[in-house]
Amino acid sequence: MPNIDRREFLKLVGAGGVSVGGGFMLREANKDQPEYLIPHVLAPEDFSSGLDTFYNSVCSMCPAGCGISVRTREGRAKKIEGNPAHPVSQGGLCTLGQAGLQALYNPDRLTAPMRRAGAGDAGSFEEITWEQGLKQVGDRLDLLRAARRGNRVALLTQGVRGHLAQLLESFMRQLGSSRLLHYDFDHPHTLYAANQQFFGESRLPYYDLANTRLLLSFGADYLNNWISPVHHSLGFGESRQSRPDVRARFVQIEPRMSISGAAADEWIPAKPGTEGILALGMAHHIVAEGNYSGADRGAWTTALADYTPDAVAEQTGVPATTITRLADSFADTAPSLAIGGGAAGNHSNGVDTLVAVNALNYLAANIGQEGGLVFNPEPAGPASQQHQASYSAMVELAEAARQGEIDVLIINGTNPVFTLPPTAEFAEALAQIPLVVSLSSFLDETTALADVILPSHTYLESWGDDFPEPGMGFSVGAVSQPVVSPLYNTRGTGDIILDLARRMGASSVIPWQSMEEFLKYGWRRIYQRGDAQTLAQDFDAFWTSVLKAGAWGETTSGTTAFSLNPDVIASIGVAPPEFSGSEEDYPFILHPYLSANFHDGRGANLPWMQELPDPMTSVVYGSWVEVNPVTAEQMELSEGDLVDIQSPHGQLRVPVFIYPAIMPNVIAIPIGQGHGEYGRYAKDRGVNPIEILSPQLEPITGNLASSATRVSLTATGGRVKLVKTSGVSRDLGRDIVQHTGAGVEVSSAVDNSIPITEVTT
Amino acid sequence: MNVSIVPALKVLRPAAMLVIVILVGLVLGYWANATFVPGNSPEQPIAFSHKIHAGDNEVPCLYCHTQARRSPSAGVPAVSKCVGCHLEVATEKPQIRLLMSYWENREPIPWIKVHDLPDFVQFTHKRHVLANIECQTCHGPVETMDRITVSSRAVDGSAEVGHPWKMGLCLSCHRENEVVNGTDCLTCHK
Repeated sequence: MPNIDRREFLKLVGAGGVSVGGGFMLREANKDQPEYLIPHVLAPEDFSSGLDTFYNSVCSMCPAGCGISVRTREGRAKKIEGNPAHPVSQGGLCTLGQAGLQALYNPDRLTAPMRRAGAGDAGSFEEITWEQGLKQVGDRLDLLRAARRGNRVALLTQGVRGHLAQLLESFMRQLGSSRLLHYDFDHPHTLYAANQQFFGESRLPYYDLANTRLLLSFGADYLNNWISPVHHSLGFGESRQSRPDVRARFVQIEPRMSISGAAADEWIPAKPGTEGILALGMAHHIVAEGNYSGADRGAWTTALADYTPDAVAEQTGVPATTITRLADSFADTAPSLAIGGGAAGNHSNGVDTLVAVNALNYLAANIGQEGGLVFNPEPAGPASQQHQASYSAMVELAEAARQGEIDVLIINGTNPVFTLPPTAEFAEALAQIPLVVSLSSFLDETTALADVILPSHTYLESWGDDFPEPGMGFSVGAVSQPVVSPLYNTRGTGDIILDLARRMGASSVIPWQSMEEFLKYGWRRIYQRGDAQTLAQDFDAFWTSVLKAGAWGETTSGTTAFSLNPDVIASIGVAPPEFSGSEEDYPFILHPYLSANFHDGRGANLPWMQELPDPMTSVVYGSWVEVNPVTAEQMELSEGDLVDIQSPHGQLRVPVFIYPAIMPNVIAIPIGQGHGEYGRYAKDRGVNPIEILSPQLEPITGNLASSATRVSLTATGGRVKLVKTSGVSRDLGRDIVQHTGAGVEVSSAVDNSIPITEVTT
Repeated sequence: MNVSIVPALKVLRPAAMLVIVILVGLVLGYWANATFVPGNSPEQPIAFSHKIHAGDNEVPCLYCHTQARRSPSAGVPAVSKCVGCHLEVATEKPQIRLLMSYWENREPIPWIKVHDLPDFVQFTHKRHVLANIECQTCHGPVETMDRITVSSRAVDGSAEVGHPWKMGLCLSCHRENEVVNGTDCLTCHK
């Protein structure tokens, strides 16, 4: 045994002591951080910790107005689903609606009122208090109103309905201004005009997809973004599977296969803008073959004389045999339904095209029929379609601003700097307005040019209501209630407007202190009109039951009697579409379509939508241009090749995606990406095809013919890798997917009984 | 050639001993901490005593932890609940003054969580309270504690003061009471 001297011993004892301490501290440091139990200061009444509380409300991510049911825990919104009791969505909800949570919790939300710092320095804002912001705007409004110069104020909002729309209307009336504009890029102006012209109805009818047996869709991507996609998807499913012996047939007519086209039994590409001519060709055949026997048959025969199947086949590129076959089955099947919209309505002949689609419904006696189209009654609450601004109205507003006729512009939610083509020069017009006020929740392209930002709540934090348009054949309403307390120092749009009304001295006419109070006032009137059963309860009970159910309906239905004005028949006819740019210089037709994920671009700041693969191409995070394989082969392009797309009004650089289901002379780019602002997820990603659109108009509505721009395609030699989840889009001889190229009939299609129409260019 | 390792050992021996002593010391210190330090009895922002409330004054558990009978989590009472009584009761005590200062500033009291289960355990108070399991079965004799400590009157006697809950505690009780599917993995881990 070695002998240890005293010195050695003390050294060891010291080291031992230090290491025991070290071990002690090691364990101490490895302990979990304490978790805290933070109680409420005041116990909330409406939830228990650990338990879900569901609130029914209304989705505002697109104009469809679906009912939602939001799951909340401890006062936080956790999940959004469809409200089963709401007639529009019936428990369904689209991806954009589901992603509404990311609008609420978005890190790029505007959290407090702001004012432009310094003189006109774009994008630099300083925080102010609500009192400062509201006073600055309110004082100016008060002055203008007192001087009877209220018309120098313009209010530009996204499409809103219900009592908020009514509030905006009376606010502007108090100002003495007629410049109230609702602007949505995708508002179907041509559809409204066509229905007004043909039916004399200012409201859209209810399209009863669920009970139809044959649906002809002229360009309407009804499963993705046409009017009320969730409701149409439900109807699509029901028409296929809810009846034991009936499986409805769907035929989609469009130059580029959309999701609805992919779900259809038959996809027919007609030359862009000739959809209405095709409809009239079918109408001609129905009348000529004696499948229509109404008293006005003679008038129809005269009106449709030029639209013989052969002539129509020549114009549309769809074979005459297909036209007659479709016409026969459309007339023979009852009920059948023809709908039109989307790109077909966005041509220079848009209204005439959709009138022609209505004519088909008339000739096949689908009007007022179950499984056809049903007229809607007057909505129970305020609706304000008359304020929807077309492209021309927006150009007029910009022109008025440039002439110095506008002192104050209040913008609520809409983003015209992104959704108007640069030819409208809207951004330049904004610079001419002394006071631009934005009520947006996000710093979008338009808000970035504002002078004062008074940020609104998101829809999950604010009061509102909605009367969906179109109705469901009966009158539907729903109250949108806050499901969480406001996260930031923001206010509801209605509350801001009410505050401004007080400041400009209009409180005798607009006396309400809050949007909630105004809503109750409005719904009390609906309650008072109610039937005996409604009136048996007091108003508070009625109000609570409406909030709880998340939907409210009346059984009154619209008019069923319909007689066609004979003048309409004589005026029927669809002119060939006009395009901007010559065919020699610009050989391709640009088909911009609303992205399934981003709608008109409003969803681009939601990371869930960015990372969700596009349903047709599976591409994520970016833009692409869809090119037919034949075209690509001729131009020696392959996937990912960067091309310059030149229109008479602009140029974009974007990668190619080879897409077999598009006509060879058409190229398609989704709308929604290409933001210059709008937060970290949207900014500097992809391209915005609206930027190169020509200001081609539909003359009746003044709407932008957004599908009527010609472009040229030039390879740049550059190349990127498209980010997508699918492998190859071809079946590599496995014979699992049947597809056609230009002018090619696929023989195996007959064997598989998948009807495929040949494409001719 | 005669090579001896003794000279080498002579040089290395003190170093080796030092290493051994340090290792033993580290283990000893770690063990001492784990065994003797009641890690699960942290000092709370207010020295709230369960002994005074639940013990001496016999306030029922569910009077404050009202959520326990209807929610997975028992819940901590809102500050307003404390103030409800202490506007009248023991208003002069320093700890109550501390409580009132939170109340006057409308601030929540940052209690430190003592009883915790890993996230992979799905436990719900509701079922256990409705089955008339006494709170003390798992939480120990809370009514005797001035400062709350993880403790368990475990049915098999294995759990001691200072030990966190282990799965055996759940299982032995589930077995004893013949709980339907009580030993199924998915009953707690889902």
